[in-house]
Amino acid sequence: MSGQEIISSQSLEGLPMLALLVLMLPLISFLTCSIIHKKYANQAARLSTLILASAFIISAYTFSQVWGANAHHFKVEWFSIFGEQANRSFSFGLLIDNVTALMLLIVTFIATLVHLYSIEYMKGDDGFKRYFSFLGLFTFSMLGIVLVDNLLLIFVFWELVGLSSYLLIGFWYQKDSAVAASKKAFLVNRVGDLGFLVGLMILWWQFGTFDLIEIVSNLNDPEYLNSKFGALGVEGSGIDKMTWLTLAGLGLFCGVIGKSAQFPLQIWLPDAMEGPTPVSALIHAATMVAAGVFLLARVFVILSPGAMTVIALVGSITAFMGAIAALTQHDIKKVLAYSTISQLGYMVMGMGVGAYDAALFHLLTHAAFKACLFLGAGAIIHALHRAEHAQNIHFDAQDMRNMGGLLKKLPLTSITYFIATASLIGLPFFSGFLSKDAILTSAYANANSLGGVSVIIPILGLITVFLTALYMGRQIFLVFFGEFRLERHKEETSGIGKHIKENSWQVQLPLIILAMLSISFVYAWSPLDGAEGWAMSTLKNPERATFWAGFVSPVLTKEILHEYHFLISGVSVALGLIGLIAAYTVYKPGKTFEQTYFQAQDYRKGLLSISFNNWFLDGIYHFAFVTPILKISAILNFVERKVIDKAIDLFAVGNVVLANITGWIDRAIVDGLVNFAAYSAGMVGRFTKSIQGGKIQTYFIWAILGMLSLIIWLTL
Amino acid sequence: MIPIEHYLILSALLFCIGVVAIITKKNVIVVLMGIELILNAANINLVAFSQYDHVQIQGQVLTLFVIVVAAAEAAVALAIILRVYAHYQSVNIDEIKDLKG
Repeated sequence: MSGQEIISSQSLEGLPMLALLVLMLPLISFLTCSIIHKKYANQAARLSTLILASAFIISAYTFSQVWGANAHHFKVEWFSIFGEQANRSFSFGLLIDNVTALMLLIVTFIATLVHLYSIEYMKGDDGFKRYFSFLGLFTFSMLGIVLVDNLLLIFVFWELVGLSSYLLIGFWYQKDSAVAASKKAFLVNRVGDLGFLVGLMILWWQFGTFDLIEIVSNLNDPEYLNSKFGALGVEGSGIDKMTWLTLAGLGLFCGVIGKSAQFPLQIWLPDAMEGPTPVSALIHAATMVAAGVFLLARVFVILSPGAMTVIALVGSITAFMGAIAALTQHDIKKVLAYSTISQLGYMVMGMGVGAYDAALFHLLTHAAFKACLFLGAGAIIHALHRAEHAQNIHFDAQDMRNMGGLLKKLPLTSITYFIATASLIGLPFFSGFLSKDAILTSAYANANSLGGVSVIIPILGLITVFLTALYMGRQIFLVFFGEFRLERHKEETSGIGKHIKENSWQVQLPLIILAMLSISFVYAWSPLDGAEGWAMSTLKNPERATFWAGFVSPVLTKEILHEYHFLISGVSVALGLIGLIAAYTVYKPGKTFEQTYFQAQDYRKGLLSISFNNWFLDGIYHFAFVTPILKISAILNFVERKVIDKAIDLFAVGNVVLANITGWIDRAIVDGLVNFAAYSAGMVGRFTKSIQGGKIQTYFIWAILGMLSLIIWLTL
Repeated sequence: MIPIEHYLILSALLFCIGVVAIITKKNVIVVLMGIELILNAANINLVAFSQYDHVQIQGQVLTLFVIVVAAAEAAVALAIILRVYAHYQSVNIDEIKDLKG
């Protein structure tokens, strides 16, 4: 797939076995936590952390074996459907190539840290055990997507991820908002998955297989272009095939839109903040939203140029919209949620412009710094919660209006947060810089070589760099600098500041590790160019299938990218710094904004309300889909009750009457006949029995009478 | 010569007495006596009708046979009655009903 030699095997030996073990370990954790008694919840949590850690170690070994070396493909027959024309067999298989190895590493690593962190964060929660079992299920589903080799199985695990995210977002099911959020996430994902299913159907029709390797080898086959159209043998030209493949690509992309929260389905992600904060870290950094980008990487070779343009456009629009929406949020986690949407937009945009390596690289760096940010936010919330309990008062611990000046109180958390923020903004020497600039450079090269509508893509991408610096700068200044606003503005909370203390090592260790992984030197020696780093140099862009050779594709050679890289990184760093300076001038402590921020209301009017309400997407969907559906449902309900129910009632009444009549006939006539027959038989029996009385004298009388009657008859 | 009707009336009376004895009596021995009466009623008839057969007197000969057979029959029947009595401790015909269906 990504230019690696593939070793195929039918037997579960060596790496496929290890990979299967990695897949099964979180499942074991899930089952253990599910069945174990509540009394041992603490032990179960520690055990599942250990299980995940061992999964991570095995993943690391797998990574060391596969990365840059041969890919492994294990495949067995799963089941077959016998048809009239041909037998269709479905396979089960594991495909372990560079991308899989990398994703295994990310997923198990982040999941391990989240497990460790949650031991402290979720302590004392009623659903402690349930929480850890769900985490296991979530990790298992995500690893399934990463490991399997065909699209059907990816779809299965894809849905499992949807289910487990539903369970975790609605973890605090006593809260109405959490229930609503989980429902929303599930339904919105369902909309995208419909597209996924359509894409699957088209691919099946075209190739008769879901196996990614087979599909790609079909596409690379020069005969395919001229062969019969699709697996079902319809005649058609290359253009028809191109159209169908574009549709298939867009269908699969619909699934990505849902899972990876792309425009126009990004509305579920901010609401998903209702779940516990470590879950947000898991969803945002490693599992759910990364699944979409990973799927794009898997089907990268299948995507048609047309589909890729759409993907790039949607990605850049999402990046821009997410960044705008992050500008005015009050909730510390909401800012990060919109930032995730924006960064996912970058990744999808990278895939769309053909920068497969850069997009996956960004997925990698983003996993580290976004997990760090979320866990950092969780650490702040947790510290405030404990202060809340110590002082026995109540305030919203997620609201940035209640924060400020936390640098002095939570120094370690703050520093890790700063590092991750710098990485997110894309400052040099931090990991985000390398990956983001690689994407932007590719976007620029793509726009240069294709022209037309693609020009918008790098422009939106660069504006987003500025916006990212602005909203993250705002968050940093409002949360960590100045004075603790809650104490300053509310008298009854005075003295609460001294209760805010750093968390235990289970919380801090993940933060430190993740912050270190946000430094650029982890990924490449050169702090200014990631292209030579270990990640990108191995994750080379896969060869486009020969099928696409005849169609226009962007040219993204190394030389061209290198040529643009200096320009783009210069512009992007400049924009990031301008954004930070702008944030400093507007939000710095002591300015009017900071002074009045505690009293700030939700933005209901004006330009800022567009940002605050995430472009009013929720309202639009409510107006365009939810309300009409509710109205139609009300009408259907009315019809159901008044018309259909009435008709059914009438029918039922008729049936009862008919049943009564037949019942009477049954009882009186049919039963009567039978009873009469039985009765007369009984009568005959009783009569004949009376003759056979067993008394010799009676027989004698009858004999005499018989003889007499014989005589009388003879004499007559 | 006594007209034949007298014999027939006597024999009919004997027959009826025999039948009534068989039907109404509970005692097996009395029932057996009823049977003897019926046989004798038949014998009277045979003897009475033999007055029309001077040469061979077949009726009287048959009567002798009947008497012999009746004696044998009575012997056998009485023997059975004795065994029945030994078994049931009764000669009441109503109590001897083991074969009743």
